[in-house]
Amino acid sequence: MTVLLARTAGRLYWGARYVERAEDTARVVNAYHEFVVDDPSEEPLRWEPLAVLAGSHVTIDVPASDPTGERTVLHHLLADHSSVCSIANVVGRARENFRTTREVMPREAWQAINQLSQYVEATASGAVDRQLRNRFLVHVVEISRRLDGVLESTMTRSEPYHLIRLGRLVERADMTTRVLGVAAAGILAVDDSERTGVVNDEIRWMSVLRSVSALQMYQRATHGPIDGMAVVRFLLAYGSFPRSVTGCFEEMRRVLDVLPSPGDVIVALDRAQDAAAAAHPDASAGAELDQAMETVQIAIGDLHRAIHARYVDVHT
Amino acid sequence: MDELLADDGTARPIGAALMQLIESLGVDELRARQRVAELDISTMGITFTVYTDGQNIDRAWPFDIIPRMIDGREWDSISRGLSQRLVALNMFIDDIYNDQRIIADGVFPAELLVASANYRPQLRGVRPKHGVWAHISGTDLVRDHDGQMYVLEDNLRVPSGVSYVIENRGVTKRAFAELFERQRIRPVDGYTDELNRLLASLAPDGVADPQIAVLTPGIYNSAYFEHSFLAERMGAELVEGADLVVGDDDFVYMKTINGLERVHVIYRRIDDLFLDPEVFRPDSMLGVPGLIRAWRSGNVGLANAPGAGVADDKVVYAWMPDIIRYYLDEEPGIPNVPTYRTMYEDERRYVIDHIHELVVKPANESGGYGILIGDRATDVELSAAIAAIEADPRNWVAQPILSLSTVPTLVDAGIEARHVDLRPFVLTSDRSYVTPGGLTRVALTKGSLIVNSSQGGGSKDTWVVDRFTSPVEAQHQFQSGGTG
Repeated sequence: MTVLLARTAGRLYWGARYVERAEDTARVVNAYHEFVVDDPSEEPLRWEPLAVLAGSHVTIDVPASDPTGERTVLHHLLADHSSVCSIANVVGRARENFRTTREVMPREAWQAINQLSQYVEATASGAVDRQLRNRFLVHVVEISRRLDGVLESTMTRSEPYHLIRLGRLVERADMTTRVLGVAAAGILAVDDSERTGVVNDEIRWMSVLRSVSALQMYQRATHGPIDGMAVVRFLLAYGSFPRSVTGCFEEMRRVLDVLPSPGDVIVALDRAQDAAAAAHPDASAGAELDQAMETVQIAIGDLHRAIHARYVDVHT
Repeated sequence: MDELLADDGTARPIGAALMQLIESLGVDELRARQRVAELDISTMGITFTVYTDGQNIDRAWPFDIIPRMIDGREWDSISRGLSQRLVALNMFIDDIYNDQRIIADGVFPAELLVASANYRPQLRGVRPKHGVWAHISGTDLVRDHDGQMYVLEDNLRVPSGVSYVIENRGVTKRAFAELFERQRIRPVDGYTDELNRLLASLAPDGVADPQIAVLTPGIYNSAYFEHSFLAERMGAELVEGADLVVGDDDFVYMKTINGLERVHVIYRRIDDLFLDPEVFRPDSMLGVPGLIRAWRSGNVGLANAPGAGVADDKVVYAWMPDIIRYYLDEEPGIPNVPTYRTMYEDERRYVIDHIHELVVKPANESGGYGILIGDRATDVELSAAIAAIEADPRNWVAQPILSLSTVPTLVDAGIEARHVDLRPFVLTSDRSYVTPGGLTRVALTKGSLIVNSSQGGGSKDTWVVDRFTSPVEAQHQFQSGGTG
């Protein structure tokens, strides 16, 4: 007989969302870092577009002492405990949640989370420096992957496992739309600037693909050049790629198939999937792309609320 | 006295292999192993909670790598003494809530009950399964300078520490792997299975596969780690009061993603008074309204039973030898610390005349609060204590000052003797189980007798070691090393 307390269901779902957010943030920051380093133009690229990860309306005040915004934005995204989206903050929240669900998880999984939290606690502020950055980001991704590996190979496929999967997938779908949001913000930033040299389009979209570790799979799937429209379609609709928005939705559907009476959650999932399928923005138009991603994000938000209402805020 | 070293500083037979190893390793290697052990503790998330710690409410569990050792034969006798004591204590509690034979027979004074802070008159007439109220206890033992073990305190309410017994062993096994190869050290891992079996035996009649839950006050409780640990090890649910509800049918349910599911046994780690606002403190947010109703109706098992704390009282403690004799017609296997009851004129006179050589304790405080140690107190404090005793003689007891035994401990200055106590855990149902050893707590400050982890105390692994019965066997064991 296995049961899952509704409170525990909420903690598992949220814990998984926070770990996934930390992992995805690390991927995106790392890819953006390479993008900036690769950029050959004289005027250095600015870092503010990356702050869109925290939400498209977040503004960050960059002091004059930080001309490209690099340190300010990275402090905000990696180390600042008071920033809701920083890796330091979300990893802390992941640990808080999973600390109360130890009885339903494999011991090794808890140890991975605990280790992630200790590592981030000790290293995040140093990772604002370029020298330590890559190592830090790669390690955050690795521990998160190890956690999934432990769960995949040692956790019984019952309700707690499925709630963790749901949390991972909702966050992953959302983060993939945010990566496209970062691209949109980058295009807008260049449009606004008096920059002479235009950012190489191919490099930008390559960086977008790297942000979700999709570059190689994209190339194998399309056999073609890296083109903005194709990248956007790949990340939204190419269901065989597990980090595409549609790929996440399809996986969620398989999870919901085995969870008890998902009801309204399926309805919300159908809507979100329709929203992703209907989005055909012009990849070179920053505002249009941004608007399209926001529409999908709203649908994912509704899906999240449906999951919460069904499995966490259970009224009995 | 020291547990591992004789008075001349040489190792006692039981500690010989360990002390020899420590000497051959040298203090630097020992420190390296201590650091690895601490890293283990931190990675595994073995923590305890401190309220005042701000954000990081869970701190790494303080641990000293050098174990405390007890000879297997001595332990068998202590273990029998503990089982005996808990059987008698439970007969006493059951009697107090039912027939009160012991009062009628003039062995235990009725007026003590009225004054007891942990007596729950609301529970008169309840008859829990096996007649047992205190299923899980953590009895504090200390060894005096003459080598005699004494029971210092019976903890019958929500005693904590057993998770650290098990975790300390895991850490020590890695730190001193070579000794586990060569010595017979009794394993401690079986506790959670025994606890699981005990809890299952408390299920309502006819329930074959009971749903067991550990009820915790939540993450701010100092023992939250342990609550989570025990639930994990037993495959039980870890629940908070708000996860549970008592239906009109007087059954207890938990709120799951599939709706309400019945709970059959609750290992509660919430104090009596917060357990059920319908019966005890009406302002309790931690408990479950109706829980006592469900328990009285036999629809849920509760461990420990509410009200068990009546026997966990410093004045009742003084009657323990009489309680054991009364119910079991046996002499106590482990002595009490001699205790003077100031409610009696002659004992009060003795206490007042000898106060500088006694420890004076209030009856109904816990956590060491209000204790006066005669040889360390000022004249003003002593006169104040005498005045307090005379004003309310029923509220005090006094005991001789014991010198706690020591164990070599790794400190900044090297390896030095530090005072220890010992808390074995006893499970009582239709049978008894005693952890081999228990939790050794160590006062890390030189000369200090304060072992609490919240006040600079640490812990050690406790080894109950069986020595080889014949020289041939011993030789064989040593020669074969770890290959056998």
